[in-house]
Amino acid sequence: MAEARAKYRTEITQMMFVSGETGDPAPDTTTMIEGIVQQQVMEMLKRATELAARRGVRTISTDDLIFLIRHDKAKVSRLRTFLSWKDVRKSAKDSDEKGGGGADAGGVEDFDLAANDPTLGTGPNVNTRTSKNKKAKVGLPWDVSSFYTEQVPEREDEEDEEEEEMNAATLQRLKQADERTKGMNAEEYLHFSECRQASFTFRKGKRFREWAGFGVVTDSKPNDDIVDILGFLTYEIVTLLTEEALRVKATEDALKRESGGDEEKRGRKRRREPGLFDPPEEARTPVGPKHIQEAFRRLQRPDLKANYMKHIPKGTWQRPLKLI
Amino acid sequence: MTSTPQRITTNAHYPTTAASTINGSARRGFSMSRDGHHGPRTEPPASAAEGDQPEDAVHLMLRSRWADTESNIAKLFGTDGQTRRTSKKSIAGEGAVAAATSAAAHNAKTPAPPKRSARQIDDDYGDDDEEEEDELQKESPLKKKAKVALPNGIHPFASRSPLPAGRALPRAAPTSTPSEPAKSSEDVRKQLEEDKKAAEEAAKKSFQSMYYTLEHDRDAMLEQQKLDELDREVENELSGGASSAQNTQQGANAGAAAAGTQGTLGSADLGASSLTLKHLIARIDMKRDMVRASDNQLRTLISEVRKGRSKWASEDKVGQEELYEASEKVLMELKAQTDYAQPFLQRVSKREAPDYFNVIKHPMDIGSMLKKLKQLAYRSKKDFVDDLSLIWANCLKYNQDPNHPLRKKALYMRKETDKLTPLIPDIIIRDRAEVEAEERRMHSVDADDSDEDDAPIMASRGRMAPKKGVSKGGPSSTKRAPTVAVEEAGDSTPAPDVKPALPLSASNLRMESLRAESEVHDASSTGFSTPPPGNATPSGLNGVHGSGAPGSQADVTEVDGLGNSIIGSTHEDEDEEDTEFKTWKQVTKRDRAQAASERHRLFRGEQLKNLNPEEPALLRSKAMMRRWTRQQKMAPTEKASGDTTMTDGEDGPEQPPQGESLAEGIEKDQDSTLPDYYSSLSAIPNIDERFKWTTDSEGFVVPQTEEWMRMYPKDLFKSAGGALNRKMEGNIKQMQDTRKICAKIGIVKQMQIQAQTYQNQFSKYEPQPFVEQDVGAVVVSEDGPLMAPWVTRAALQRSVGKIFYHAGFEDFQPSALETITDLAGEYFGKLVGAFKCYHEQPKAEAEAPRYTFEEQVLHSLHEHGLDVEALETYVKDDVERLGTKLGVVHERMKSHLADLLRPALGDHAGADGVGAFNDGSDQFVGGDFAEDLDEDFFGFRESGLAEELGLENMSVPLHLLQNRMNNLHQAAIAGPINTTGLVFPTPPAYEPITVENLGSQIGLVQGFFREKLRANHDDPLVEDEDLPQKQRFPKPRLPPTGKISSPRKRPIREQQQAAKKRRKMEESHGKGMDAPVGKLRLEMPSKEANGVEPEKRAAKEKEKEKERDEDGMDVDGDENGDGGGGGEGGAMISPESLAPN
Repeated sequence: MAEARAKYRTEITQMMFVSGETGDPAPDTTTMIEGIVQQQVMEMLKRATELAARRGVRTISTDDLIFLIRHDKAKVSRLRTFLSWKDVRKSAKDSDEKGGGGADAGGVEDFDLAANDPTLGTGPNVNTRTSKNKKAKVGLPWDVSSFYTEQVPEREDEEDEEEEEMNAATLQRLKQADERTKGMNAEEYLHFSECRQASFTFRKGKRFREWAGFGVVTDSKPNDDIVDILGFLTYEIVTLLTEEALRVKATEDALKRESGGDEEKRGRKRRREPGLFDPPEEARTPVGPKHIQEAFRRLQRPDLKANYMKHIPKGTWQRPLKLI
Repeated sequence: MTSTPQRITTNAHYPTTAASTINGSARRGFSMSRDGHHGPRTEPPASAAEGDQPEDAVHLMLRSRWADTESNIAKLFGTDGQTRRTSKKSIAGEGAVAAATSAAAHNAKTPAPPKRSARQIDDDYGDDDEEEEDELQKESPLKKKAKVALPNGIHPFASRSPLPAGRALPRAAPTSTPSEPAKSSEDVRKQLEEDKKAAEEAAKKSFQSMYYTLEHDRDAMLEQQKLDELDREVENELSGGASSAQNTQQGANAGAAAAGTQGTLGSADLGASSLTLKHLIARIDMKRDMVRASDNQLRTLISEVRKGRSKWASEDKVGQEELYEASEKVLMELKAQTDYAQPFLQRVSKREAPDYFNVIKHPMDIGSMLKKLKQLAYRSKKDFVDDLSLIWANCLKYNQDPNHPLRKKALYMRKETDKLTPLIPDIIIRDRAEVEAEERRMHSVDADDSDEDDAPIMASRGRMAPKKGVSKGGPSSTKRAPTVAVEEAGDSTPAPDVKPALPLSASNLRMESLRAESEVHDASSTGFSTPPPGNATPSGLNGVHGSGAPGSQADVTEVDGLGNSIIGSTHEDEDEEDTEFKTWKQVTKRDRAQAASERHRLFRGEQLKNLNPEEPALLRSKAMMRRWTRQQKMAPTEKASGDTTMTDGEDGPEQPPQGESLAEGIEKDQDSTLPDYYSSLSAIPNIDERFKWTTDSEGFVVPQTEEWMRMYPKDLFKSAGGALNRKMEGNIKQMQDTRKICAKIGIVKQMQIQAQTYQNQFSKYEPQPFVEQDVGAVVVSEDGPLMAPWVTRAALQRSVGKIFYHAGFEDFQPSALETITDLAGEYFGKLVGAFKCYHEQPKAEAEAPRYTFEEQVLHSLHEHGLDVEALETYVKDDVERLGTKLGVVHERMKSHLADLLRPALGDHAGADGVGAFNDGSDQFVGGDFAEDLDEDFFGFRESGLAEELGLENMSVPLHLLQNRMNNLHQAAIAGPINTTGLVFPTPPAYEPITVENLGSQIGLVQGFFREKLRANHDDPLVEDEDLPQKQRFPKPRLPPTGKISSPRKRPIREQQQAAKKRRKMEESHGKGMDAPVGKLRLEMPSKEANGVEPEKRAAKEKEKEKERDEDGMDVDGDENGDGGGGGEGGAMISPESLAPN
């Protein structure tokens, strides 16, 4: 299993870097993250399969997956944006094939990546493409529009506040990334943007399928959309874990600084008053597995809603894995 | 009695109707159901003059009762008929007495109806005489009959009328005391005694007629605590020495007793206090000759047998017991004047008054006096009284200011003291040795009077009265003093030679008698036969009271002095408080304090806000339990009595079996003076008035149910019209509206797809607004919510259904609804349970409840997975935002529908809408564009069509524009058409043209019709409009352009096809046919008529008739089709034909 988990070491490292981690986390850390991500993906697949089965269908649909994360509205919003951009890409591809034909694949892929993740910021070519391909919203079965028998095309001018709110969350992410990259020079930024393109699934479809246990967890053979969504979600998971772990570490560091007194007695050079001629501060230490573990624990903390039905007797009952 | 408290007229049914007045600080109400008076009770006599009579009456009565007792005793011993006769005599006299008393009572305006006699006022009182009575009944079964009559004559009076009598007494007492100094102290004491008794009775009486509240209990409790503390303090200081001293004294006493001479030995027997012993003594006295034992031996024997002795008893000190008993009693009573005695309870400390000891050289206080008492520091009454007056004097001396509040108190206390001091026997304590020495000396002098062997005993007994208190004091020391006084009073009268100051006379007999027992009276009375009336009355009274019910007197007597003094105080107008209330306060103080402290213990914390769970519950004592059972027993009687008057507590003592009353006798002292309603333990909660069992005049039960029936308030089973609910309803309405539009869109779309639509293809979507139905009129008989699980469940189900709809489900499976309802019900149950839990948390130390209301709510929400944020999110996202979303979708739908109906305004249309015509103008079928133009484009308004058709806007009605919509909208327009039909009766249908009536047509067309008829095989021709729908000639229509175009301009595929068909048909028939109106002019009828079977046609014609009405409003009449409207024929364009090719 260990070697299985090591499959995505670079990707995870890159993702973590984008999320604010140092460039080189310990292998232990990445392995742990990979394990967590894998577990999450498998769980998602399992539940989505169950949902599909309840509908009487064997194959998972995107709706099933989105349904699993429906409570995280910001994430759903990002996912929908992602999916709509994917549509755009597809249609763009089609039109490219039809019209230009000669457009090189790489260009398309580049755009794909940029569109893949809204957090990646605005690529240079996104704007131009947007104007050409109207972004189609991905409808969800539990949306208001599905209340009615007739499906009516959306109008341009409607942008409900919910959307704006979700966008706000996305913008927050973008802003963070912007902050992070402010002090970077060109090379660093290049590295950063490369790292941003890291994905579990992109061009690694087969590997991912194996890794996620397609065919084992779920009978069906999920389509590309599912894989893409999972790729998006895995990225989200890693980001979330890393951010939480960083927070954990920050608290720990703060605590250490607080109780620095006895720490100092033991190891003198560990803490020192910053002097004028001090050597530059050491680079931050990367997050360790314990931080990841703690972050995972925190993310697994049951929310209040878990109490809703607690009065209903359920025997020995283990809290299910919470999807991050 | 200066106040006139409101009394119950016993006919008043229930206390709830009673008005209560606030008198002083006491709230008065009518007494509860336990009051059993039948007749209205009058006020006690207001003047002293009137009071005298009842007093006498009491005496008489008591005396006769005493005589009765004596006779019983005599009978028991069965000595001779003499006593029996005497007793009979006395009984006979008693009857007279009873009559007299009742007469007196009447004089005193106390009508005591004889009927009353059967009742006793109070359990408490009943207890007092009960023992005696029981005894009597046990002892004299033979006389039972007489007894029944007699006690009833007397006893009730004793229990009933003491009120008037007693009330009257206090008047006499205080006034007479100062005014008649000649009156002996015994008399005073006696009167005081009576006053007390009366006051106590009055207080007890008042329990029945007044409703006392608990608000003064706290004060009582605190005061009692203070007093107890004082006692303890004194006790602690003295405990060791005093008790041991007492023990030794006791022993010495016994020893000294042995030294008594024979002549006085009998008197030693008086140490026995109980009746049994009394009888024994009497017996021994009678058979003194046969008893071998010496007096000394007897005395020792008796004193050993004796139940117990006062703590003051001392063999060494003669008179100590009596003096100290009385003194202590006086002190206690003074101390119990809590309102006044408070400042004098303890020593004045230097801190309170720094210069006090400069002014006062000999400080004194009640506490110190108690200590001195315990230390046996008083030698005589004078010592004691001096100390007592020293207290008041000190106070008056120190507080010179005449307005000083303490002065007032001191003055009051002094008055009290003056009143009480006569109760103390004027005794100087002497050593026994000395006394006995003297005695011996006297004895030797009188030795020659040997013939009076028995006499000394008798005499001594007769005079030994003060002793009686001693003897009786065994079980309850408190009783002693009054009885002492009483005996003395009784004593003094028959023996005129005896001076009030008994000990001073100091004859040896007297000396002996000091220790002698009180039962003398009984013995002597038997021995002496009937005592002279004047003499017997007081003694009999006292004797009976003193010996008859020793136990029960315990707290009663203690209280007596208080009552007395209180009455005195009111007399002097010292206190503006209502007397009765004050009496009550004093009388019941101890019991109230006890009750209050018991209650107090149940609480803890500084503010006493918290129940103390550790504290054991309050339980009924045995006495209380008895009381309670008595009440229980009474309950049926009360119910049975048709009149709503409640029987009295008095019935209880008469009814219970002997065993029970015996038990009562044993524990009498535990009986509380508190009325039943006062104690939380003895009271039974009143039954709801509505459950009263009443019968009307004919004996039918009057149902009480109507009175409290009430209609259940409306709208309790509908959801409350809160803001959230309104929003949700708004959303639901919005959804319905949107769905309506959806249905229209669906129809339009369907029409675009389908070539042909059917009448019933589209069901009109006509959603009804949601109306919540309330439950019908429900009559309930109780307060509180309606407990109907199925109704509430249905209501919840409805709400759940509403939420379902709100969530977008137009319909749902019943099982889903059931499941969610169950879950929601359970969830809410738990939620409310948690809330209740938090609400009822026992309070912590703080005075506020442990959780504020807000906290309670938040906690219980949290417990069940909710918080305010979640609720807010729900409201915001799932209701409010949903509302806006719905609005957006609604707009979208509307615009989409408009787009469908009005392509001219669509995207494809150019700036001026010209582009719309590119796609084909059949999209104008909607006709809504006129609305946008907002003008009377077609002149509907002008022509009045707008009103006729009920058009709201100026658009062309769909049914007018589009034929195929006809059927769909027939229902809508049915109304106006019918009315027009009524206005203008339908003209008779044209006769079908047949061969026969062809000639009646004008010549020009005859040829044409002949042709037709021939083509129709000479069958009658069918009108166009009678043809079946499909064969009918298309009607001419107004194109959306509004222009009537030439038919030739637009060759129409269908028509062409039809024309082709026609040609074919014509060819097949071999008939050349003229084409009168050119190519497009079709001869549908003939063609179709050919193909139709005659039988079928009849049916079809019927159908036609029907349809004619419906089609009547079509733009074109069928005549047009028939009657050669060539130009119009060209305008007949069906929607399909307009479809873009």
